Amino acid sequence: MTAYLGRRLAQALLQIWGAITIVFIALRVLPGDPAELILGSQATPEALEELRGNLGLDEPLLVQYATHMRDVVALDFGHSWRQSVNALDACLERLGSTLSLSAWAMVITIVLGFAAGSFAARRANTWADHLVSVSSLVGQALPPFWIGIMLSLIFARWLQILPSTADGTMVSLLLPAFTLALPFVGWLGRLVRTGILEEMNQDYVRTAHAKGMSHRVVFYIHVLRNTLVPVVTMLGLLMGYFIANGVIVEVIFAWPGIGSLLIDSITFRDYAVVEAVLTVITVCYILLNLLVDVLYVYLDPRIQLENA
Amino acid sequence: MTATEGVGRRRFLSLLGAGAAGASLPGLVTGCAPGGKGTGPAAGGNRPLSAAFYQAINDLDPHGASAVDEASLLANRQIYDTLVAWDGAKATPGLATSWRQPDETTWEFTLRDGVVFHDGSKLTSADVKASLERLAASDGPQKPLWSTVDTIKAPDPSTITITTKEPVGTLLVNLTLAFILPAAQIGKGDLSRKAIGSGPFAVESFTPSSQLLLKPAPGYWGGASKLAGLRLPYIPESSTRMTSLQNGEVDVTWIIPPDELERLRGVDGVKIESKPGVNYFLTWFNCGRKPFSDPRVRRALLHALDIKTIVSSLYGDAAAVMDAPIPSAVFGHAPQKPYAYDPDLARRELAEAGHGSGIRTSMMWFKDTGPLATELAQSIISAWAKVGVVVEPQQIEKAAWLKRLTALDWDIELQVNTVTTGDADYTLGRLYTSEANRMGYANKELDGLLAKAKATSDQDERKSLYGRACEIIWRDAVGVFPAALAATYGLRSSVAGFVPAANSQPEFRTVSTTG
Repeated sequence: MTAYLGRRLAQALLQIWGAITIVFIALRVLPGDPAELILGSQATPEALEELRGNLGLDEPLLVQYATHMRDVVALDFGHSWRQSVNALDACLERLGSTLSLSAWAMVITIVLGFAAGSFAARRANTWADHLVSVSSLVGQALPPFWIGIMLSLIFARWLQILPSTADGTMVSLLLPAFTLALPFVGWLGRLVRTGILEEMNQDYVRTAHAKGMSHRVVFYIHVLRNTLVPVVTMLGLLMGYFIANGVIVEVIFAWPGIGSLLIDSITFRDYAVVEAVLTVITVCYILLNLLVDVLYVYLDPRIQLENA
Repeated sequence: MTATEGVGRRRFLSLLGAGAAGASLPGLVTGCAPGGKGTGPAAGGNRPLSAAFYQAINDLDPHGASAVDEASLLANRQIYDTLVAWDGAKATPGLATSWRQPDETTWEFTLRDGVVFHDGSKLTSADVKASLERLAASDGPQKPLWSTVDTIKAPDPSTITITTKEPVGTLLVNLTLAFILPAAQIGKGDLSRKAIGSGPFAVESFTPSSQLLLKPAPGYWGGASKLAGLRLPYIPESSTRMTSLQNGEVDVTWIIPPDELERLRGVDGVKIESKPGVNYFLTWFNCGRKPFSDPRVRRALLHALDIKTIVSSLYGDAAAVMDAPIPSAVFGHAPQKPYAYDPDLARRELAEAGHGSGIRTSMMWFKDTGPLATELAQSIISAWAKVGVVVEPQQIEKAAWLKRLTALDWDIELQVNTVTTGDADYTLGRLYTSEANRMGYANKELDGLLAKAKATSDQDERKSLYGRACEIIWRDAVGVFPAALAATYGLRSSVAGFVPAANSQPEFRTVSTTG
């Protein structure tokens, strides 16, 4: 177990290093100069030169990269020129909002996804099953920003029963969380449906039925539990999707998370914040994957660690 | 332990709110007309006034890198005071009750008595001196405004004396951007987040580019606000922002996108107020590049545009056709004779200039520079195509646009410019000198006029000098100046005492809400 964890951890570190490097290169390849954005259009060339020097932008790229990696190891992403604060602090103070949004989206996905999946599985190949399948396909095909704007128009503008922006209440969480969750409810539903149908054909189900257990007990206690294994793997990835997809959804609903911060920082070439946010997202994603690998083992002790 | 209890209670209350919203759902769906006041879950009660500007507030440091962002200025106007204010034509008293000019380069201000900062400390000339010195030494975008300041002295607690290296006619206008903070905070406090000023509102909490929460400063020298508080949220998506106004989540929002204006006028519980603004579209020709170095070509392109039709069909009354290189709301504006729409004349002039076979060129802009910028660019481009000028549209990202703009690496460009101070010096004096070289245009006569206008403090003389400058820039067709954008505000009808501001920085001290 320890050796396995150690190896996965080393892989994770390598992935994080790769992500930081790609982000660093991508940002420098983009046209646009922070010094110009800071000083505005009336800046003199001398002032620009001086500021570039202060920001370290006049160094060769490799030197900038080395400095950057050294700072990142010390968890120092530098100073946000837009907000005049430490970039990582600016990111971390908004991470909570993003995580709570993602967590609620996850709760909605799990509850509705399992409900839809088991509903469809128990009525396999009836019109109800097909209805669930078709709507889940439609749900997955719709882009999140469109779903967001539609939900906002319907529930906030026309019906006026839900707030369209974050105001610190639980109610204001509903629209963005549903927007994030909807495309994945159908996806999870189909996963659960397939899982259940496969399990239903297993010998142990027949045995359980044969020894006189009620259909409900067999279904909810045995079958559903066994479908969890593939589903949990997917849920770990899903949390990562939610954090990343949140970027657009946060902008639509003025949700004060790292997504809206990221968009703003890219526009103004606030390198430090962009790097901090992307690194935090990457680390979250990789750690979640690690967590899933570990959970996997606990859910199904039969799984061989070395082959996992 | 207390913290956990607090969180628990808040969550419980919000869940209660969710339940209530859910419980009243059937009634709302059947009983309420859309737009009815109080249907939104956030409406009602003694809550702070919520005012959403369309841009984000990032930093409360009034001398920092974002200090002349419109959103920063909006926040700073509520939190801080300035020595003088500006009513569009002249300076009016602020922290300074009176001022005089013993000689051309010396200004002496007498400070208001009994002004206190939000932390309770008394405001003296030492605070003013420290703030102005910090501003003059700052690396930010205000630097050029203060480069001519020589000394700042505080001979006694209620007097401040500023001397300049040369006569500066715009000193009073520039001082409307010079926010005063306590000397004791400079170099100590976290000015970006925990701002302390002497203005009508004090900071309660601030999350950059998300929300600024303010509370009225009791005993403000100009009269304290009666609001429970003032919330300035940032709502990036404009359709969401309109929704929040319609369902009462926000009480005031500006700017209203031109394509939403008509619709909002018909919405119950919402009223629209507007004022000619200081934001305007401009389309410069790169006058240092062929073929635009020839003024005949530039004039021909102006005759090829039916500006009136383009602007009114795109913007309705959300923008006004311009008759000078600066909007009519700006000090120094002088109306000029419009270029008549005459495509035949345009073709003839192009032929005379040796471009009878047409011109191939390009125009660059970034999408968010202003409302319907892409549509405006396309209208102009298609009009030019009709006289044989083929323009390649280049919609690029802001940072890339700025880089090419300053490098003069473009043929034609389109942008929304802001006359932040409301004074012609800020735009004409800053952008059109040969030294600034912002669009390749150089004119000795214009340089002389602008330098003279900068140096004099006689307002009538300045006005006539800038009038001459407007004439030259217009006559030489340095650019197309299509439209001045109106400052358009959407308000809940319950909001009273609101005065729309041309510069997007309205005052909230006098605002109250009914019902």
